[in-house]
Amino acid sequence: MKLISKLTLFITLSKLAIVLLFVLTLPYLIGEIARNYTDYYLQQQQIKVLEVVVKNGVDAYLQGEESYGSYTMLKEEYISLEPVEKGFVLDTIYTDERIIEQDTLNYRVLTHSFITENGTYLMEVGKTIETIDQYKRPLQRIATYVLLGLILITLIIDLFYTRYLLRPLDRIIRTKIINRKFPFNENSVPIQTNTTDFRFLDDSLISLMEQIHEAFEKEREFTANASHELMTPIGILQNKIENLMGEPEVSDFVQERLIGMQKTLNRLKRIVHSLLLISRIENEQFSKKESVSTAELFADVMDEISHRLSERDIILKIDISNEITLENINRDLLFQMIYNLVNNAIRYNKPSGFIHIVNRINPDGSYDIDLIDSGIGIPNEDVGTIFNRFRKASQSEDSAGYGLGLSIVKSIADYHKIVISINSEIAKGTTFTISFPAELIRFLT
Amino acid sequence: MKVLLIEDEKTLAYEVEAFLKKAFYICDMAHTAGKGLEMLGVNPYDFVLLDLGLPDLDGLKVLQEAKKLNPDAAYIILTARGNIEDRIVGLDLGADDYLPKPFSLLELQSRMQAISRRKFNLNTHEIILGEFVIDLQKRIVSHQMNEIELTRKEFDLLSYLLLHKNRVLTRMQLSEHIWGTFADDDYDSNYIDVHIKNIRKKLGAFGQVEWLETVRGVGYKIRK
Repeated sequence: MKLISKLTLFITLSKLAIVLLFVLTLPYLIGEIARNYTDYYLQQQQIKVLEVVVKNGVDAYLQGEESYGSYTMLKEEYISLEPVEKGFVLDTIYTDERIIEQDTLNYRVLTHSFITENGTYLMEVGKTIETIDQYKRPLQRIATYVLLGLILITLIIDLFYTRYLLRPLDRIIRTKIINRKFPFNENSVPIQTNTTDFRFLDDSLISLMEQIHEAFEKEREFTANASHELMTPIGILQNKIENLMGEPEVSDFVQERLIGMQKTLNRLKRIVHSLLLISRIENEQFSKKESVSTAELFADVMDEISHRLSERDIILKIDISNEITLENINRDLLFQMIYNLVNNAIRYNKPSGFIHIVNRINPDGSYDIDLIDSGIGIPNEDVGTIFNRFRKASQSEDSAGYGLGLSIVKSIADYHKIVISINSEIAKGTTFTISFPAELIRFLT
Repeated sequence: MKVLLIEDEKTLAYEVEAFLKKAFYICDMAHTAGKGLEMLGVNPYDFVLLDLGLPDLDGLKVLQEAKKLNPDAAYIILTARGNIEDRIVGLDLGADDYLPKPFSLLELQSRMQAISRRKFNLNTHEIILGEFVIDLQKRIVSHQMNEIELTRKEFDLLSYLLLHKNRVLTRMQLSEHIWGTFADDDYDSNYIDVHIKNIRKKLGAFGQVEWLETVRGVGYKIRK
């Protein structure tokens, strides 16, 4: 899960948890507030009652009666006075039932004993619980709304702010990681940010990429220079041998030796040539503006290679559509790629074996060519390394391969964004699948 | 034919010179661009073999200068740079051919021969070989007015052997000429033999082909 999603989820859930907690505790809190307020109200009433009692005297209220009681019409509040024994002290607030005119009601009751010249009296001031509760509901509702509103606002602010904060990270991922391909040829532009962590991450990535790019450049330059420098002495040696072979007085024995030398030299020349070719492909020195039909390409390859088929008695069958044209490619390179693959299929085939070349168009518009051979096959553990330089099929009996043919194939494929996959079975054969991406394909109609 | 070889690698230059002299060319050498241009200003040459990697001046500039001094000569570029742009620019600037280093001397001679035919229109198009007449220009082999059909590769093989007549050519040299860089590594394979066999069969139907000799363990040669 992405960091931004995680943060969003966390912020939302934590806020929801807080709201839930608050909403659950709200009735209790509001109840508490209402009761406190009621108690305060009752105390105020008590003071007022005592004031008037002091002013008017208890008798003005008792009017000869034993006790005094007064309540409002709806029995929401009442006040009572009654004599108690001398020395009785009570001063408290509690919730209790009271029966007033056959109605049993719950009251919040304040009792207070006080002494007058006539004796000790107990005063009660009561207020129905119902009137207390009537504040609770609207209070609770308003509190909930306000709370939800506040939470929503902070949630939105939080989300926007984290999004804003994390934007540099997103940009680093997009420009430095996802869209970058080895060997990171383009220059890296530093991301605008004042978050030190992101600054550090971005700087580290840029410097890492520069290091990789530099190392790769050096290796590439070395290969190109080394190959280039090797060509001159090879040329001199080759010409010396040629001149020597042209001398009439050279004996058959020496002639034979010279041919041997020439062969070895040629092998060296070929290796250097191949390395130079690979380095040029990796240097992107080839244009990709040509187009060729696959049928034509295979015809060209067959033209060059058919002599090798007859030599080994191999039957080759090509079922290639002639309606497909490859675009934005380098024709010479694709020729070389197909040539090397077919050549490989011949070299590692069994005598009188077969090679079958088929193609198919995939639903996503990409185009596959399969080269199926009846060769010796490639052991599973070798499939991954077969495109490496200077790697030879371990089971190969002839030592002709110098392990660069498939490296060249790989470089050419990579250069054109072509994918080559291998499916092989020992002693049965190998299938090389060349997958051309849809953008290289055009259909002839 | 007069040849000027402008090449800074002296050892290589001497080998080329030795080879060309044997092939009856008159060969002058210059190891710097300055010296080369100086010589071009004084002497008329038929061929200029120009190395692009000269120490004192960029090879392509030398080519431009040289073309001004001697526009009639045939120019062959020799280079180890071998990148395609150089090749295109070189040919655009009026070079007649382009040989990447390392090159075979036999190949060099073959290219020079081809240019001679094309450019100087020498009357050596038709070569008589035993009972056969070979027209290198029209690429036709005939026997008493009968045209014999050879494939492109068979004809190339025959004319290459013919150019270097009396010299044994190895299978490797032959396959390199015909397949160039695509020639494969296993020279012991017999596909050159298959082509030679076909040539013998096709020509043999009309007349004697004993001039095409197999040299055991080495290769083939045309004796004349």
